[in-house]
Amino acid sequence: MNGNFITLTLAGVFALSAALEAAQLPAKLVMPGDKSWEGTIIARDGEWIEFQTGTSARAIRIGAKTVKELVFEVKIDSDKLNEMNRNREYERIISSLDRVLAPFAEFGDIPSNLTVYKALLMELRYKTGDYDKSMAYADQIIMDDRDPALQDKSRVFKALSLIGAGRVDEAEKLMAEYGWSEGLEDDASPEKLYITAKLLALKKQYADAMELVAKIIAFNSQDPDWMQPAELLCAEIYTELGAQNPMMYDSAEEVIRQISLLYKNTNEDDQAQKLKIRIEGLRAEQELKQSEEV
Amino acid sequence: MKFFNRIGGSALKASMLAALFCSGAALAQDYKSMGITGVVGSADRMLQRGDYRGAIPALEEVISRTGGLTDPTGKDTAQTCRFQLARAYYQVGDFASGMGVLEDYLENEPRKKERLALRMMAQGFFDTEDWDKIESLADRLLALPDLEKDDRYNANLLLGQARYRLEKWTEAVDPLSYAAEFAKEEQVRGLCQIMIVRALVEAENWSVLFGKLPAIYRTDSKYDINLNLTLMKAGKALYEQDDFLNALLLYRWVLPREELLDFANKRVTRLEKKLQADVKRGIADAEIEERRGQITNIQESMTTLRELPPYEDEVTFRIGQIYATVKRYWEGYVLFDKLYQQDRDGELGEAAMLQSVLILYDVGEIARAEERILLYLTEKPDGIYARTLLSMMMRDNLIKQNFARVVELRTHVEAVPAPQTEDDRSLQADLHFMLSFGYFQSREYKSAGEQFGVILDDYAKSDPAPDSEYYRGMTYLMVGDYKNALNDFKGYQQNNEYGEHVAASLFREAVCEFGLENIAEAEAAFSKFIETFPENGLVSEAYSMRGDIEASKEATNDDPYTLDRALADYRKGIDKATTQMQASYAAFQAAKVYKLEYKWQEIIDLMNYYMDRWEEQADVAEAVFWVGQAQIELGQVDEAVAAYLDSIERFGNDATQQGVDKIMLELIKVASGHLSDEDREGLAVKLKLKQTNIDARATVLLLRLRVAQAMLQGDDIAAALGAELLEQNVDLTITSPASLALMCDAAAKTGNIDEMERLSDYFMTTYEESELLWHAYRAKAEKSKAEGDDWGVLQVIDDAQGMFGADPDMGWAQILKAETEFKMEKYAEAEASYNMVMGVAEWRGPLFAEAMYGMGKCRLAKGDLEAAHSFFQRVYLLYKSYSDGDWAAKGYLAAADVAFKMGEEEKAVNTLKAMLEDVYTNTNPLAEQVRQQLKKLGVE
Repeated sequence: MNGNFITLTLAGVFALSAALEAAQLPAKLVMPGDKSWEGTIIARDGEWIEFQTGTSARAIRIGAKTVKELVFEVKIDSDKLNEMNRNREYERIISSLDRVLAPFAEFGDIPSNLTVYKALLMELRYKTGDYDKSMAYADQIIMDDRDPALQDKSRVFKALSLIGAGRVDEAEKLMAEYGWSEGLEDDASPEKLYITAKLLALKKQYADAMELVAKIIAFNSQDPDWMQPAELLCAEIYTELGAQNPMMYDSAEEVIRQISLLYKNTNEDDQAQKLKIRIEGLRAEQELKQSEEV
Repeated sequence: MKFFNRIGGSALKASMLAALFCSGAALAQDYKSMGITGVVGSADRMLQRGDYRGAIPALEEVISRTGGLTDPTGKDTAQTCRFQLARAYYQVGDFASGMGVLEDYLENEPRKKERLALRMMAQGFFDTEDWDKIESLADRLLALPDLEKDDRYNANLLLGQARYRLEKWTEAVDPLSYAAEFAKEEQVRGLCQIMIVRALVEAENWSVLFGKLPAIYRTDSKYDINLNLTLMKAGKALYEQDDFLNALLLYRWVLPREELLDFANKRVTRLEKKLQADVKRGIADAEIEERRGQITNIQESMTTLRELPPYEDEVTFRIGQIYATVKRYWEGYVLFDKLYQQDRDGELGEAAMLQSVLILYDVGEIARAEERILLYLTEKPDGIYARTLLSMMMRDNLIKQNFARVVELRTHVEAVPAPQTEDDRSLQADLHFMLSFGYFQSREYKSAGEQFGVILDDYAKSDPAPDSEYYRGMTYLMVGDYKNALNDFKGYQQNNEYGEHVAASLFREAVCEFGLENIAEAEAAFSKFIETFPENGLVSEAYSMRGDIEASKEATNDDPYTLDRALADYRKGIDKATTQMQASYAAFQAAKVYKLEYKWQEIIDLMNYYMDRWEEQADVAEAVFWVGQAQIELGQVDEAVAAYLDSIERFGNDATQQGVDKIMLELIKVASGHLSDEDREGLAVKLKLKQTNIDARATVLLLRLRVAQAMLQGDDIAAALGAELLEQNVDLTITSPASLALMCDAAAKTGNIDEMERLSDYFMTTYEESELLWHAYRAKAEKSKAEGDDWGVLQVIDDAQGMFGADPDMGWAQILKAETEFKMEKYAEAEASYNMVMGVAEWRGPLFAEAMYGMGKCRLAKGDLEAAHSFFQRVYLLYKSYSDGDWAAKGYLAAADVAFKMGEEEKAVNTLKAMLEDVYTNTNPLAEQVRQQLKKLGVE
């Protein structure tokens, strides 16, 4: 799930930027028909933006909705960001990106070259459990139809964030709207299986959830993007099933072992190690309970 | 893999061009006669215009003149010319000569172009595939200080491939990884990745491989056929070495054949199209040849792949097995399920079906497992695994004691085609054996016996056959067919001298003889058993039963000690008992014998011995009951009462100790039979006082004491307590049979349907063995009656009578049954039911009157007025005193009414007059109604 995203986004990422005047942003304005002008955005005025080309003496007013794309000047230190991401310094990345994107906030409704950063933020906000903000980014990207694949991805994150926030009804409604509630056969897409499994797990239907996750792992094992989060979810659900059948703790531990082997030094590995400690606790509780019963 | 030659060559070429002389051209001529400056100038000019062949003689001439110089300028000129000469040879395709010159260059100083020279040398060795030399050159190149990025990349590329070709797998990985990371061309990167995978597989360095695979699988390299075949081969090898985890992690990267072929096909098309376009544009023959070779390589790997026998399903099955083995059950399940769904009739599909069911059992999804099994059995009773699956399901249900479920499978057991192989015969015999046990445990002994019979008849040599003979005997024994049981038990002993059930068979042989009233044979068999198996778990019972035989013998002058021998056996029975039940039987049988001999003190001693021996496990209530009886006989009523009170107090806070409730009832009986009113009152006070002295947390005991006190104070107070408890909605966990009985009665009396249901359900499920449980049945029957569910009433009564028969407390059931049948207008059945009441002496009393009255009603309903009149007449003639004359009054009225109906007014009036004269009825409330009636008729 995250691999593609990171690859996509980090391909050009960053460390902004030239000093920006609060109201004056150097940018390329692209209009329908791909006619474009280099210049500076002077201001935003409701549905209008004021733009001044490099050659013109005065600014012109253009309807925001008529702009096809804004290409802002953003410099990027991709190596540094890649390193931070590899080190799972998500909060640092978020903080940097927030700072970088702040001056462009009022142009968030206009398609721009910042979408790729918003996508990264959407993902990182989700990873750090800030579901509302992840959803806010997802909503913005969903409206931007320049990259259908990214739109699809954002829909996935929106659903995941709703589930993460425990908003079952809204998640179910959204999934029905996207047609994800049906057709969960063996050849269903891994994202559909993953989201539905997450939702079922939230509703404590662990065996059903487990079957769907197992399908991701069994039938999409060559897809490293979805395998990684699916493996973690798999370990989590096996853990929940352990409450009824302690043998499932063994299963969860086996999955964790494999995560460590295959995805060392990843977010999933970090989560899996925490889960391992939780399982140890659950086992101890169970043993204590059994000894008390005896 | 010649791509390095080509790719490396291109890179080298670029570097070389950058290093070219920039001097002028010269024409080929007789250089020997020219001055050195002229020769150099000629060479320079020719190189400038790309005439490498022409430049060679000039360069050779310069080298021949300067090669021996030792001054720095001369050495430098010679080295520069050597390098350029080598380059010229390379350009004209004479690598051998070029490499010879490069060797000279690298052996001399200065070497300003050493890096390039090394790379050129290495490239030269590609043609001869001299990998050792390439490795050595690449190593030398990498050892140079301050290497440019491009040099480092090329050196690693060379080194990696050389080591790969030399099968130095581990050493190849690092340089190849470097090359893969910095390759500018996708094709080079891909090929490096594929070599890395192969090298890691060969080096069996799984952890590094698994770390690299996710990245590789984010690229199109994953579609490389050789890569997939490598992974699959390695996975298979590991699987066969039982290295399941590593096998799994390799296997699961393998893509399906069609996906690989599809991608390869597209790639070939793309490459061919590009090649055609480039050929038209004009490219070197060598490049054309090389690109054609690349296409051919792909096509060859496609052919290899196509020719492979189908592997996808086998790989899927193996992955499933590995998942299951490493306890990743659900992953295994979905894979097996898929295999089964796509090939339900194939061998692999059926095997997958079996595996999927095994996993469902492992994860506790029993309902799903059974659903799959039943569907399979229905679809394919002749399936390969029909017996195995049936066996699995039956065994699981037997273990869980779902015997009805086992029995339900009989149709499937019988639907499986007749076994043809020994294995199948053995499995089929097992199925019948399990089915037999299902029936046996469901108490369907006849069917159980039939199934054991199937094994004995059709699978006589199977493993379960010997046991089947014993257990069939048991089925006969359970239905009292001692004769056939005896045959089987004897047969078992004859056929299985050292069989597991030899001892039990002998014991049961004795039981059968006893049942057949062959007392001497029974006694002999019990004696033989006791002698042969003195430590067997059944020996206590053998002693007890032999004691029963002795006790039943008439003492004679010749043999006056039968009871003594019986008592000796019972004592042994207690000593040898391994269960409380065995000990209890012996102890209480012995007590009965002592009672026959009026040995009250012995009873007390025996019961104390029994209670000491079995402590909490003992049937304390029964024992205390016997002690109390004996004490009462010895005139020790106070001691008996004290013993009862002590037992109540000791065990009374445990609701499950039902014996305490029995003692409570006995205490009430003793109190009403042997205590004066004053003492009874004193006992009630004592019970009340105890309630104030007991810890308030002993809630069960406190409630029991309250109940005992109320019962001691009479039925009305007990009933009031029942109503009070009902009203208080008392927590059922603190109730015991005695309090539940009162509450059930109260609920029935008040017509509280919800409570009748709640209490009776709780009572029945919690104390199913209680002798007071009939109160629950009565409440349940009253509930059905209140709901107008006549069949429900009859069902409950049927159950109650099945459990309690015609116990003294069960008259209500027979009356209610008759009433219900009457209501359903089943008059004949109702009359028969009423009539049955009269057959139970213990029910003599008002129930008799009610039954007789009921019979009259039945006849009246059928229009048989004579008979009806007769029944009513008998009510007031025979049962005048019952229920304060109520029944007699009803009898008079009903008889008079029938007489009126018969038109015999005078008879009717006389009947009514007689009622008013009868001392049992003339003060009855109904008498006033009769007086009014007579007045209307004008009779004074």
